[in-house]
Amino acid sequence: MSDHSSTAMDEEAEKQRKHLAMVERLSKRPQSRPNKPESSSESTSSFLSRFSDLKTSIETQLAQSHSIASDAAQLKLHFQNTSQSISNLEKLVAENSYLLPSYDVRTSLKTIDDLKHSLQNLTSTLIPKKKFSFKNKPTKKDSAIHQPPQNQIATPHSDFPTRRDSPGFANKTGELLIEKLRGSEVGEFALSDLHSCEVRVIGSVRALFVHRLRDCRVYVGPVTGSVLIEEAEGSIFVLASHQIRIHAAKRSDFYLRVRSRPIIEDSNGVRFAPYCLRYEGIEEDLRGAGLDAETGNWANVDDFRWLRAVQSPNWSILPDNERIGVVDLSNLKNEDKEI
Amino acid sequence: MGLLSIIRKMKRKEKEMRILMVGLDNSGKTTIVLKINGEDTSVISPTLGFNIKTITYQKYTLNIWDVGGQKTIRSYWRNYFEQTDGLVWVVDSSDLRRLDDCKFELDNLLKEERLSGASLLILANKQDIKGALTPEEIAKVLNLEAMDKSRHWQIVGCSAYTGEGLLEGFDWLVHDIASRIYMLD
Ligand SMILES: Nc1nc2c(ncn2[C@@H]2O[C@H](COP(=O)(O)OP(=O)(O)OP(=O)(O)O)[C@@H](O)[C@H]2O)c(=O)[nH]1
Ligand SMILES: [Mg+2]
Repeated sequence: MSDHSSTAMDEEAEKQRKHLAMVERLSKRPQSRPNKPESSSESTSSFLSRFSDLKTSIETQLAQSHSIASDAAQLKLHFQNTSQSISNLEKLVAENSYLLPSYDVRTSLKTIDDLKHSLQNLTSTLIPKKKFSFKNKPTKKDSAIHQPPQNQIATPHSDFPTRRDSPGFANKTGELLIEKLRGSEVGEFALSDLHSCEVRVIGSVRALFVHRLRDCRVYVGPVTGSVLIEEAEGSIFVLASHQIRIHAAKRSDFYLRVRSRPIIEDSNGVRFAPYCLRYEGIEEDLRGAGLDAETGNWANVDDFRWLRAVQSPNWSILPDNERIGVVDLSNLKNEDKEI
Repeated sequence: MGLLSIIRKMKRKEKEMRILMVGLDNSGKTTIVLKINGEDTSVISPTLGFNIKTITYQKYTLNIWDVGGQKTIRSYWRNYFEQTDGLVWVVDSSDLRRLDDCKFELDNLLKEERLSGASLLILANKQDIKGALTPEEIAKVLNLEAMDKSRHWQIVGCSAYTGEGLLEGFDWLVHDIASRIYMLD
């Protein structure tokens, strides 16, 4: 940016103009994402049939490679064409990824990845390597999935900036942890390394990070951004947020209200139910966070590890008779430390 | 004429740029793309695969590939490396705990030969959140100064929430790519 010949004032004016243009565009934005067409299941099935046609034809192309292996020039062209077909297939998925059910997106991606692999393998077996090379470079395929040895991953935290003053609770066992955030503007809130604790957060935060909780109960007011939960075990969470990502959780129950689909990864034995938190003024907080309406998304969980159309075995809907009732933080006594 | 110069020639005519957006899940990639494009950002799901957005930016057409950052699908990132002109690495500046992960994944990416010619924009996102690290702090943690000298890079603090910093970042990226591809030969 430093090498521009224009004066600083011109640049400032230009910046201002662009900013106004963006604001203009933003003000004209549609109120919501374009609705899915009514016939979304129909478009899914037409996508799937196009996808499978293209896939079959690519597989045929791949299979033909052997028969033209003797003609190097033709083979190269053939591989280029095949690679192009795979790219086209990929574009098809990209264009449809908003409309497709999540497992279809995931399986499609897996298929494309497999096709690319097959092509790569064929290319490296059928196109003879040069007799020798000066550099002993690893092949592309190897370098792409190359992972450095374990000891390199654990970089020292020496000059790692940490915020001691950031709100949250860490390293506690068997405690009742209460935070009232009403009226104050809170950014991120973090819970980490808690064991057999009960956490009650009244009020709204922008982002919630949860790391390593065991046998805890966590009740938190509306989160206006996202929640990230990693390594929870034997715990109960009652949360409302725009997005929720759950990684490496075991045997835990989640009572959620979410604007988008909750996602799980590397988790099992996790169960879901609707949000059930109350405290004085929660309606206002929910409204403020745009979470006053039930979306039903608590039940639309996406499991990133699960590639099939049938229900993932890693999560389930919590049966009615096992759900905790409404939790009213205003009525809970503070001395009540039993978990 | 080599394949690369043919591709460049075609691109030059169409003034097209291919931009790859990556970074850990939850860093704000999708929100940033939608915000730049002036779209509604109130309901965004974690990205299951990838989205492509074609955006006209000044006199250029940007093809922005926004790829999901969940661990399970990070192995697919390499499928998108080919012909990338600009790489945008998005960081959640409020997620202090995963900066290690973030550095690890970025380092891995920068080893990738197919990306060696791409301009690198690092967006230190979520600056609106109280407690977020500043771009300078992020640069230090990611050890950006140690990067290969041949790499064109820039770090910019931004917020997809307020829109602040996004134009500054993309302006740098687009100009840097343009100066490499379209003006020089
Ligand atoms: N406060 C704040 N929140 C943000 C900002 N940018 C994104 N978010 C929130 O962060 C969460 C994640 O945003 P996404 O855009 O879905 O993140 P992503 O990088 O696309 O995530 P993946 O698709 O899983 O890789 C959402 O809840 C956003 O609302 C920001 O600048 N400030
Ligand atoms: Mg995304």
